[in-house]
Amino acid sequence: MTVWGMVLGAYPRSRLARYTLRDRERGTLDFSQYTSRLLIVHSEIIGVQKAHGLPIVVDGMVDWHDIFRPFIMRWKNVSVNGLLRYFDNNFFYRIPVFTGEPDPLEPVWLPRIRQFKDLAEPSSLKIVLPGPFTFVNLSQNVSDLSKTELAEAITSILKSEIELVKEENVFIQVDEPLVGDRRLSKEEVEEYLDYWNEIASLSSENSAIAIYFDVPQKEVFDVVLESKFKYISVDVIDSKRRAIELLEKTGLPGHVPVLGIVDARRIHEDKLDDELLTMIKKLSKESQEIVLTTTTWLDLIPYTYALKKTKILSKFVDIVSEKLGLEKRILWR
Amino acid sequence: MEYQVPRKFPTTVVGSYPKLEPAKQALRKIRKKQATPDELRDLFVEAIRGVVEDHLWAGVDIISDGEQTREDMVVYFAERMNGYMPGKWTRIFDNVYFRKPIIYGKVEWPEPLTVEDWKIASSFAEGRPVKGILTGPYTMLEWSFDLYYGDRREAIIDLAKELRKEIEALVNAGAKYIQIDEPALSTRPWKEEADIVKEALKIMLDGLDVKKIVHICFGKIEYILPYILEFPVDQFDLEFKNSNFRLLPYLKEYGYDKELGYGVIDVHTTQIESVDEIVEDIEKIMKLGILSPEKIYIDPDCGLKRLPRDIARQKLKNMVEAAKIAREKW
Repeated sequence: MTVWGMVLGAYPRSRLARYTLRDRERGTLDFSQYTSRLLIVHSEIIGVQKAHGLPIVVDGMVDWHDIFRPFIMRWKNVSVNGLLRYFDNNFFYRIPVFTGEPDPLEPVWLPRIRQFKDLAEPSSLKIVLPGPFTFVNLSQNVSDLSKTELAEAITSILKSEIELVKEENVFIQVDEPLVGDRRLSKEEVEEYLDYWNEIASLSSENSAIAIYFDVPQKEVFDVVLESKFKYISVDVIDSKRRAIELLEKTGLPGHVPVLGIVDARRIHEDKLDDELLTMIKKLSKESQEIVLTTTTWLDLIPYTYALKKTKILSKFVDIVSEKLGLEKRILWR
Repeated sequence: MEYQVPRKFPTTVVGSYPKLEPAKQALRKIRKKQATPDELRDLFVEAIRGVVEDHLWAGVDIISDGEQTREDMVVYFAERMNGYMPGKWTRIFDNVYFRKPIIYGKVEWPEPLTVEDWKIASSFAEGRPVKGILTGPYTMLEWSFDLYYGDRREAIIDLAKELRKEIEALVNAGAKYIQIDEPALSTRPWKEEADIVKEALKIMLDGLDVKKIVHICFGKIEYILPYILEFPVDQFDLEFKNSNFRLLPYLKEYGYDKELGYGVIDVHTTQIESVDEIVEDIEKIMKLGILSPEKIYIDPDCGLKRLPRDIARQKLKNMVEAAKIAREKW
């Protein structure tokens, strides 16, 4: 039985990253300067994760303005509208506006994987995709497509992203933060099960669905449990009591738990208390693997704190390994 | 010289206004630690005067100081209250950041924080009332990092107790309208959260003889609406235009009967709403038959700070014109 850690998603922007993006927007930085500076930024982020023994690393995605933007900027028939608050954060995303069937002009992930793969070794890279449920429901659809047709079209493009990197030994993560909305009904989520399974079946051993910012209702989580994603990531800290109750009720039968136990939205020093250890112990009896992660992407806190949180995550892996007698995994494949 | 606020459809602003050049200059000087207090005061007086002139030009009835001295609605208060320390850059959107403050000790109100600006605005207001506006304790906590309290309720209540002192200072200075901004409330629309805010508002507003307003915007306000109706305030100031008036049927459903700040100007677009468009939007709420014109205050969805000045003032002008037409119609 093993335990390992990975950061859930993007890192915040260091000073160099902020200035690089600013100068590029102002037109004072040419493309080669821009890419070489960002390479420094991403290298540092990858290096930090490797140094902390994480077998799966993210490239940092510091050039992503929000989870949707890199995709819609590369798709035809979709533009961006005004700003809207992103869940309960003091952070705003630009609303994707679909004016027709989305049509990809180029992939998002393939060039990134090619750029960062060698840098990441011996760790493996993770690709993060916005899930179809969150994508559709946080967008505006002014096209002739029905909601179902739009979900199908988005799913199809997300699948092509995975197909293109299939040979690259990457970990696939589909983010569905909206599934955590406690006001959702089972019916609203149910029709997306097929889309999730289409995505998961492309990489059944390496794929995760990530739910964060809140804890879903049990009936909604039951739908997630029916999915073919091997890994299911849950934010355990934001609503700790509800998360623990949910996991006690349902467990994660047939899936590997990915537990968001490092608070990615706050800057305090996290503690791995007995309650969390007991929960992890219980779940570890039902799974050959336990994965520890951050509650969400780290880009909602300042950069220096994100680095500290990476260290804390690594420390938690060590503690769990030692206290529960689980083997610490440092290589993915 | 007392200004007579119209009985029906009074017009107002939510608070912030585009930073005018003297304010930008002053804030730059503060960042670079390059100015004397007198220099800064002169620049801010000039900026606030410009804002008030724009409000008067547009014909707004209840105006504000445009929050010209506030770099950010949370940071401004945090930097001046004891128990806070400056934070590091945290992203808000795209490549735009704010220095998210950190609570590291018990929060304490040191001295009046907004009263001077309120007085300056009032001195140029030609008798029109100026809102006293402050960021509420819930939003102050939500948009800060808390390294001291660890308990949300405790932190919010402490902040409320301290911010009450600011409100008292405003009231003592003569403010008749007090607005507490709680945009963060729409992001966690749960009863338990609303209950904490209700308790905080009671602490902040109990026994004060002023118009008590809470501003909430940009979120699923319909979810929080049933829980806030019992708040001890006279008026909710809410965003409608940006969300295409989605909230209106819920007002009827929940039997809303307080005064309403009715947001008819989208602050996220530079497209200027026409007078006719705003009149039509006022008609939308009148058709529901839930509130009389005396209870409806016409204003923008939120602060206008992200708009260019010429767009902001023309939006206000059209809003005022539309309100005049509405007064004749209803």
